[in-house]
Amino acid sequence: MAEHPFFLILVTSSLAGLLAGFVMHRSDFCVAAMFRDMFLFTDFFLLRMLVLLVVVSMLAFELGRLSGMLRPYPFPLLGAPSLASMIGGLVFGIGMVLAGGCVVGTLYKLGSGSVAGGVAFIGMIIGSALYAEWHPVWSVFAKATALTSAITLPQVLELSPNLLVLPLSAVGAYLLWQWHRQGKLTRPSYAAGHIAPWKAALILSLIGFISYLLVGMPLGITTSYAKLGALLESQVWPEHVAQLTFFKAQPLAYVAPFGSETLRGGPGPAFDAVGAIQYPLIVGIILGAFISAKLVGEFHLHYRIPRRQYVSALLGGVLLGMAARMVPGCNIWHLWGGVPILAGQSLLFLLGILPGTWIGSKLLTRFVIR
Amino acid sequence: MAEPTYIRLDIHGQVCPSCLLLTLKALNQHCGAIRAGQVEIVVMTDDRQSTSTIPGAVSKMGYQAEVAILEGGYRIRIYGR
Repeated sequence: MAEHPFFLILVTSSLAGLLAGFVMHRSDFCVAAMFRDMFLFTDFFLLRMLVLLVVVSMLAFELGRLSGMLRPYPFPLLGAPSLASMIGGLVFGIGMVLAGGCVVGTLYKLGSGSVAGGVAFIGMIIGSALYAEWHPVWSVFAKATALTSAITLPQVLELSPNLLVLPLSAVGAYLLWQWHRQGKLTRPSYAAGHIAPWKAALILSLIGFISYLLVGMPLGITTSYAKLGALLESQVWPEHVAQLTFFKAQPLAYVAPFGSETLRGGPGPAFDAVGAIQYPLIVGIILGAFISAKLVGEFHLHYRIPRRQYVSALLGGVLLGMAARMVPGCNIWHLWGGVPILAGQSLLFLLGILPGTWIGSKLLTRFVIR
Repeated sequence: MAEPTYIRLDIHGQVCPSCLLLTLKALNQHCGAIRAGQVEIVVMTDDRQSTSTIPGAVSKMGYQAEVAILEGGYRIRIYGR
């Protein structure tokens, strides 16, 4: 069994998911809130936690690359940066605010008993499957609006990554030091078993590093939402699923760091390398959050919430699912994995998510939470 | 001094950031009475984040907040003086 190509991947992803789910629940490490609270409440506290996570990951990934520990570099599944990534980021930003969490946030909230999180999860599966219907058109658009064929900014500039990454990390570290001195990296919390968000940021960047080291890429989960959508849709409409080009594609083809054969995978319903990497993460995050919530006695299902919040969670989920395929990739993949290596797609995604979150915040206060 | 009137907000299970938004809305509606000590807001929630954000936001506005851990959730009391 230990020789099976998926063995190390399955074990790593399961443990990474469990730990991430537990830590994110305890610290309420919500990426949607990081951007949303900036627009809604002029509150930058959580965004500083994202900066911490990105700066630490940036430095760790670069040291890992220089020492030869992290390979392949850049990691698989990153594509050419195009306008599609930015538009996808914009839709993603709207979706995560309406859903009340991002693709991972809704998972840890679902694990801790949030029914709205569960509705958003269903929405994400629907949205991912819906995207397959217009993938051919969107992929033409993505190719037509590609800015370059290079994956990362250092590749575009034909520079060694350390010439860009190390000075940027130094600027980030200086900023973080200033915030630390001003007491802006901590704030009181009265939640039971609370883990300070700065500690969560460090733990999550360590999990990302370990995933890169052992699996060959940082955390990402959304291709499996499409996979799950394809699997469910194929139960009722198998001929249709079989003919969709999106579900036939196998964008992942790589040799894992501790493997010898090429592993392949894609959004189709069959269990493949994508499923082996991402399904355990999804289950792990939900389970990790469930264990955390149970241990502090906070696992309770509350159904009685305003109906418009269910509609918002579902709609937000659908937008998240579609957007994650339009980019392609989610916020965890791009912000925690791609931005630290200055991937072009990830930087454009970040540019899109900012106005998207702003629009989402306007919609949320106008129509949802009143 | 007369016992204050309590405005109770049950925000269990709601989409984030319902807790902070609805608390701020109630604060704005009753700011005078809360500052005078006639009205207090009591938020019942399972939102862990709000145990941090509500006290932070209301203290900037000159109110006090007190968080109590209950069975399966939190009670956040917001008052003027």
